[in-house]
Amino acid sequence: MSLPAAEVAADFRDALQDLRMNSRPEISNLTLIAKENTEYAQAISTELENHIRTTRPEWKLPSLYVLDSIVKNVGTPYTVYLGRNLYRTFMDAYLVVDQATRKAMEGLLRTWKQSVPESMETRPVFPANVTGDIENAVNKIRTVAAQTQVPRPMHALPARPPSNVAWRDTSTPPQNLPRYPAPNDPRRPAGFPPTPQYGASMPVATPPMPFQQQFNSPQPMSSVDLADLKAELAQLVATTQTSFAHNPADRDIQTKLQALLSLKQILDTQTLPPQQLEAVRKQVRSLAPTPAPLPAFAPPTPLQGFPQHGIPPGFPPVGALPASAPPNIAQLLAGFRPPVQTTPQPAPTPQPPTFNLADLLKRVSSPTQSSSVPAPAPFQPPPFTGFPPPITTPVPAPAAAVPPAAANPTANLAALLAQFNKPGAVPPPVPATPVQPMATPQLPPQSASSGPAPGSAEWLLAALGGTSRGTPANGTPFAAQPMARQISAPTNVLNDIEFTTASMKKPRLHLISRLYEVKPNICATCGRRFENTPEGKEKKARHMDWHFKVKDPDAAKRGVHRSWYMSEKDWIDYREVDETTPATNAATTNSVAKPKRQAKDRYVLVPQDPALQHAPCPICQEKFETQWNVDANDFVWMDALQVGGKIYHATCFEEYSKGAGIPMPSTPDSVLGKRKAENGVGVEGKKVRSF
Amino acid sequence: MISLPGLNLAAPPTETLSVPTSSITREQDLPANTEYRFEVSFSRTLTVRLRSGTAEYFGTELAPSTTYSFQGTKGAIYTWHGCKLELGGQVESDYVAEETPMMSHANLHFALEMLRDRSVVSNSVEMGPRVLVVGAENAGKTALVKTLTSYAVKSGRQPMVINLDPRQGLLSVPGSLSAAAFSSIVDIEEGWGSSPISGPSPVPVKMPLVYHYGLKDPEEGKLFKPLVTRMALAVTSRLEEDKASKQAGFVIDSSGTISAGKAGVYENIEHIVSEFSVNVLITIGSERLYSDLSRKFSNRSSDETVNVIRIDKSGGCVDRSEEYMKALRHSQIREYFFGHGEDALAPSSMTADFGDLNIFRVIENDESGFAAGDAEDYNPASTGVSIYERITPSSTLTNKLLAITTASPNDKHEVIRDSSVRGYIYVADVDEAKRKVRLLSPQPGHFPGSAMVLGSWPEDVAGLVS
Ligand SMILES: Nc1ncnc2c1ncn2[C@@H]1O[C@H](COP(=O)(O)OP(=O)(O)O)[C@@H](O)[C@H]1O
Ligand SMILES: [Mg+2]
Ligand SMILES: [Zn+2]
Ligand SMILES: [Zn+2]
Repeated sequence: MSLPAAEVAADFRDALQDLRMNSRPEISNLTLIAKENTEYAQAISTELENHIRTTRPEWKLPSLYVLDSIVKNVGTPYTVYLGRNLYRTFMDAYLVVDQATRKAMEGLLRTWKQSVPESMETRPVFPANVTGDIENAVNKIRTVAAQTQVPRPMHALPARPPSNVAWRDTSTPPQNLPRYPAPNDPRRPAGFPPTPQYGASMPVATPPMPFQQQFNSPQPMSSVDLADLKAELAQLVATTQTSFAHNPADRDIQTKLQALLSLKQILDTQTLPPQQLEAVRKQVRSLAPTPAPLPAFAPPTPLQGFPQHGIPPGFPPVGALPASAPPNIAQLLAGFRPPVQTTPQPAPTPQPPTFNLADLLKRVSSPTQSSSVPAPAPFQPPPFTGFPPPITTPVPAPAAAVPPAAANPTANLAALLAQFNKPGAVPPPVPATPVQPMATPQLPPQSASSGPAPGSAEWLLAALGGTSRGTPANGTPFAAQPMARQISAPTNVLNDIEFTTASMKKPRLHLISRLYEVKPNICATCGRRFENTPEGKEKKARHMDWHFKVKDPDAAKRGVHRSWYMSEKDWIDYREVDETTPATNAATTNSVAKPKRQAKDRYVLVPQDPALQHAPCPICQEKFETQWNVDANDFVWMDALQVGGKIYHATCFEEYSKGAGIPMPSTPDSVLGKRKAENGVGVEGKKVRSF
Repeated sequence: MISLPGLNLAAPPTETLSVPTSSITREQDLPANTEYRFEVSFSRTLTVRLRSGTAEYFGTELAPSTTYSFQGTKGAIYTWHGCKLELGGQVESDYVAEETPMMSHANLHFALEMLRDRSVVSNSVEMGPRVLVVGAENAGKTALVKTLTSYAVKSGRQPMVINLDPRQGLLSVPGSLSAAAFSSIVDIEEGWGSSPISGPSPVPVKMPLVYHYGLKDPEEGKLFKPLVTRMALAVTSRLEEDKASKQAGFVIDSSGTISAGKAGVYENIEHIVSEFSVNVLITIGSERLYSDLSRKFSNRSSDETVNVIRIDKSGGCVDRSEEYMKALRHSQIREYFFGHGEDALAPSSMTADFGDLNIFRVIENDESGFAAGDAEDYNPASTGVSIYERITPSSTLTNKLLAITTASPNDKHEVIRDSSVRGYIYVADVDEAKRKVRLLSPQPGHFPGSAMVLGSWPEDVAGLVS
């Protein structure tokens, strides 16, 4: 399935283009592409570097996280390719991003100095000389910034508590949730139980994006402007301070600086009416220096060590700044213009590229960017030919028509279903037996409202509304969960299909949306669809994790083989495991399904110790069989048991311990297991020599 | 150890080298509600990639960023909304068809959904739909079963699929009968997908329950019906406890031969309907079959109605030559041992002494001296002792598949027949002088010393191992 490099690179680029926020599914997906195409690592690495360089500052962090995820989860050869230009990739971005992003990047940098958690690898993610250079440069910049008193946060908002529930609605992984999928990392030492927290011990590795913080605590516009203004002012102060430092004799600069500082104090301590604020802003802007037409900062020789003073080339020591044009942060920042501006800038005056929170909010709440998994454009189904023209959303039901929230939800449901039922159709699905509320489909009351006849094609179409049409040109967001719920509920829509030959032939194209648009969010790898609801997104995230886990390029070399089929009894007790259900659920279901653990089901992780690795079972002298185990998420020896530093076949040990009167170690159900083994149908293996 | 791609190369790999010659692709536009039908031989590959729109292969949606490869396949890619496909490789033939029975297939699915919803509403007291698909060979039964399964999975259900056609395996080799619940997507490239392997799998594996039948066609005697009864028991037991499966119900795929009937009597169909409590009986194609069956089942007492429905045969269904079918069977057997495509499996080669193998060969009716050994007929050869004949390995075993059952060699024949199988081993070579057999086993290490069944089906597979 691998494609030529250019095509892979193009795919990767396309996927990157959509990445505008810290979205774990998207980052996992990109990592997966990289992992599946290691033969094109160079092309992919170049693509990623280009993207980080050219994308807007506020979108740089997510793509840096892609880089991070790839080097940590896939490793070589990406570490090599991306390491080559890392200084430049990192520093170019660092210089143009806001303060919060810088902090996040510094956190990222710290993790690169350590080894990948849970891996056998003890070396750091990137070589020390690479991270060291970056760190030096970062420190320099911070020193300069501190000296010139650039205020740290541009939009100083309190950090959200990490466990805030609101985060669950975004697909951003809060830093205390499990991070990237713990890959079934063959490098992970056996014997360590898999920890779900991939980066548990690490410093902030995937912190939330700054503008999402803002999104989560929107502020009134005036304070937004104020924050902007303060940032602008602070930069101006900084610039002026630098100038003053180099021209202590210049009275003009001194006066200006004093004025600015008092202005700053006023802003910091008093609340000004809007008009005054506007005046201040005008003032500040008029004072702002014309930005130096510097391109984005680019150190000329990134991979070499720094000159004597340990200062990165291109960063003159602070004390030795040439009097003419001190290239301080503010100016560098000012020189940068985000490549794409969604909102045209009306002011011809050059503006420092502070991020206008209002703009950000607009962007965040606009559909294409707020949806963490935007539907890829080419897969918007074209309007259906057989469809009647779209109908407006059903009018909300008049209050009287809404069945009262009955204490008995069953009755409620039954009533609704009865309303939908057409006479002569299949009898209404009202059960004679009591129904648990949880088992009933959720049927919002207003679905039984006026508008198109409930249950009719038009009604369904209308209910589908936003979902059936893809993203309209005007950017109306997908009608998220309330719509989707409505659709999934009404059984009655199907009631006009009778089990007759004639009924099967009637065209009912409107029903097809149940197979497509109801779940607008498709997995690009396997085609599985998910609802555009928080739950659907969670499912997709787990699904992507799963893809990532099973993609093990080395598996084939390990001698993976077909397993024996399940026995009848096991099959009857077996319950399917859906990779999109939370692991805990799956585990409980499993343990419920298989309460008794037989000796042959016991396993140990394949030992690291080479001596143990090659030692046969001390009892029967047979080697152990290496097998992938889904529960352990690792390669294991089945039918194995570790006792006193040796590994035995669990069944062998069971036989032996039975004779010797030794209890099976920590097997509360060993008696059952034994009985099973004795009565077992042909469980006793016939041993056949391998050759 | 970790492999270090790219690191041990002197120079970075040149990208042009890896461009396969088959990368010359062509675009295929498909209007809404049409399908692209193709036949591709076993020695060629067709690659398909969805460029825009939506498309599905027997109900399973094509993923936007995956290129699918087909070999030895006759099939169709259908689109409800219209799409653009990127095709590569070589086909034997292909064309776009505007007339398809897909609307009927979808209607059938939605009708089944209604019954599933009812099961959910009844809190699983009612069972979901029990569907049996019948029709002549190559009528499109398997294609329909697949589409219904995919749609059900897509609708968040967990349908069970039961294969009662020994000519083509479901998650196993031909000659087997099997059942599996589908909670994850049906593989597009690998038939129904893969049964469990010892490592991770890029498409979730399915967990089949497998029985060995060992004959080409269902007879009406001592093997097929009892096996159907046994499977129905196992499936019903599972559904009793497995809510998700119970709500979704099941779909049974069948062999064309049971739809031939004898003077309008379809014993095996009736047997399946009653053992599995089938309530939706789909006939594909033949008006005659539909008429016979609807007469038969509409006259039944109405405590359990069987809805008999006829669906048109798709114009895309192609008669598959015996040669093609044989190649298909061989590829199924090969896949069992060696995996599919890039997901290669490593079976184990091993030797066994004659004494290690307890082989039971199926005695076929025509061997017993009674031309048509129906169960009702008196047959001294089938009075509970001689379903099988125990044999010593000989060179005639070469290239044959042995089913490893879960029964002990000392069990009664009925027990051996009714026991599910653990897997299959392949006899690569028999050394009569040394009394040794060279075997290919899916798994390394010991295999169960249980009874092994040898049937006349599938036929010998030459050259599975050299
Ligand atoms: N719509 C179609 N277009 C092209 N080929 C099809 C179509 N439907 C089925 N086929 C192919 O025709 C052959 C026979 O169909 P199949 O479903 O296997 O029949 P049956 O199970 O009844 O024997 C198969 O190779 C199948 O893939
Ligand atoms: Mg078939
Ligand atoms: Zn997927
Ligand atoms: Zn042992």
